[in-house]
Amino acid sequence: MTTNKSPNPPAPETVTRPIARVLVANRGEIAVRVIRACRELGIGTVAVCSEVDRHALHAEMADIAVTVGPAEPGESYLRADRILEAAKATDSDAIHPGYGFLAENAEFARACADAGVVFIGPAAEVIEQMGEKTAARAIMQKAGVPVVPGDLLPEPDADGKFPAEEVLAIARKVGFPVMVKAAFGGGGKGMRQVESEDKVVAACEAAYREALGAFGNGTVYIERFIEHPRHVEFQIFGDNHGNAVHLFERECSIQRRHQKIIEETPSPALNPELREKMGAAAVAAAQAVGYQGAGTVEFLLGPTGEFFFLEMNTRLQVEHPVTELVTGADLVRAQIRVAEGRPLPWTQDEITCRGHAIECRVYAEDPENGFMPSLGPILLLNEPSGPGVRIDSGVRQGDEVSMYYDPMIAKLSLHGQDRAAAIDRAVTALKDYAVLGVTTNVEYLIAILQEQAFLDGDLHTGFLVEHLPDWGSSRDQDEGLALAVASVAEYDRLQRGLGLSGTPDPGAPTPALTSPWTNLGRFRLSGLG
Amino acid sequence: MTLLLQFKTGDESYHVDISPDGDDWLLKIDGREAPLQATRGKDGSWLVDTHQGRRKLWVAVQGDERLVFCDGRVHRLRLPDPEHADDEEEISGGPNLIADMPGKVVQTLVKPGDEVSEGQAVIIMESMKMETELLAAVTGVVAQVHVSSGQVVAQGDALVDIDSND
Repeated sequence: MTTNKSPNPPAPETVTRPIARVLVANRGEIAVRVIRACRELGIGTVAVCSEVDRHALHAEMADIAVTVGPAEPGESYLRADRILEAAKATDSDAIHPGYGFLAENAEFARACADAGVVFIGPAAEVIEQMGEKTAARAIMQKAGVPVVPGDLLPEPDADGKFPAEEVLAIARKVGFPVMVKAAFGGGGKGMRQVESEDKVVAACEAAYREALGAFGNGTVYIERFIEHPRHVEFQIFGDNHGNAVHLFERECSIQRRHQKIIEETPSPALNPELREKMGAAAVAAAQAVGYQGAGTVEFLLGPTGEFFFLEMNTRLQVEHPVTELVTGADLVRAQIRVAEGRPLPWTQDEITCRGHAIECRVYAEDPENGFMPSLGPILLLNEPSGPGVRIDSGVRQGDEVSMYYDPMIAKLSLHGQDRAAAIDRAVTALKDYAVLGVTTNVEYLIAILQEQAFLDGDLHTGFLVEHLPDWGSSRDQDEGLALAVASVAEYDRLQRGLGLSGTPDPGAPTPALTSPWTNLGRFRLSGLG
Repeated sequence: MTLLLQFKTGDESYHVDISPDGDDWLLKIDGREAPLQATRGKDGSWLVDTHQGRRKLWVAVQGDERLVFCDGRVHRLRLPDPEHADDEEEISGGPNLIADMPGKVVQTLVKPGDEVSEGQAVIIMESMKMETELLAAVTGVVAQVHVSSGQVVAQGDALVDIDSND
């Protein structure tokens, strides 16, 4: 399907930039994932951390941890200068940016290159091109990759007013409903859906203001709004020997406000022909920019099988584990190898898909309270385990979930022989995923997986709004059992802590009680009183 | 030895008498007897034998709350301290806004002297990259604004005082 030639056997001289030590410019589960891959390769690791993360899992796992600043990401994980300084001070040959933070910052990639440090990712120019949505669109269009019909708006006047007739003409040509989008936007900011002609100018002006405020650039474009689209993305991989392959798709339609929650592969919507067509388009997209390393080409897939280029993510994706589970590939290991100058470890024909994989993102947030982040210490953590269960976690029991960072605390990925088996495995594992102290979305994830439309594979990006708009816990179920066990546990706790006979037991674990008597108000002993 | 506990969950209140019964437990929940076979697992979980089979639950203590995880659900049961039961009202539901979690003030939407109505947004907070509007709990007049844009606040910090019209 692609022009990839077999790099077999790899010539030793292809290692043009040997890597002996990698600095991981990230935190949480992804930093842990990268550190693990480095250790497996016998490569040294350096973690960077903020002051509040000194004892975080990633900082403790690395050979060396460098504190780069206070908790605020802008003062630590986003400080390109301090991170590069740390790389030099620790004699690191390469920097792995993970995802988020500096991962798609072209300036940082360039600064690494200038400093003689390998940036594990594509070239700075590619990051730049793909980060600018209109430029990316134009490149993809030229490469024959289908894009959503749309057009750029003219510049507004000094007051932020657009020429109304021109805007209307563009919107009519694109066809309603339309989506108004900021060229430099992201995360749903500067984005508006417009159903009718009378609202389009106002929407463009609002998007302009929002984008100008949020991104410092107010360029706005209009494109067709695809109703009930699926989000289907292809994992691509390129090397600097001209090879480019794809590692199949991931369906990421289960999103809340553009934030993915559950991802799976294969997509229930693709048949072999469509997969072949989209895969070829993804590889063409990679080749159009001479892509090196791991990347993702995102498509919108309409109900009729039409697909359109959405954007290209020039980094390792959060949801990469599902691809690893079905293909057996190790994407982080391959990233490091390719960064060293080696050819891809697989040809397109060697990449196969076995079974089905699903990833559930575990967030410390409260689905019953507007998905407010839930902060504080994790008092109890029991992670599920078993065949086909993979956990990528950035936290341990006792760790604190802090306000400064993303509330995703772990990813639970399941592999099964088919989709139904993977879903069963996911539900079973989630029912074992005990997190106490912070509120999580575990029960919400179970509810999604058990929704009939989900089981039917009938997904689209508005799935959660359509099917679980006002979700609430069904905790009435088993409440009696919970009450009974809480009572027994309380008895047990008091007995081990101070002895119900009133005699403290010196061999017992230190109880959470400060003094036996401060707590006696909470209960009465039937023998006293 | 029998322990008497009073749990609260939502608006419900339960009285539980509990005493060991050999290897098992004897519970009386609101007067109804309920024998229970439960043992503490080596990993800190609780194993309960019910007539539908064995169940595994996890329990943690958070202040006066007992958190119980069972089959993907978390039950929050409060064990209120009877001596301090009267203090509770003052903490929540009052006219003044208090930060219920640490965060950063994005924008204050009111100033002292402003009239506000119940449900009106008075302050925008950011925590973990997410913005949240905090709403006035009562209709009244803003007495004091304790914070300004960009300020980082801790849990429990006073944000905005409102003199209720009532």
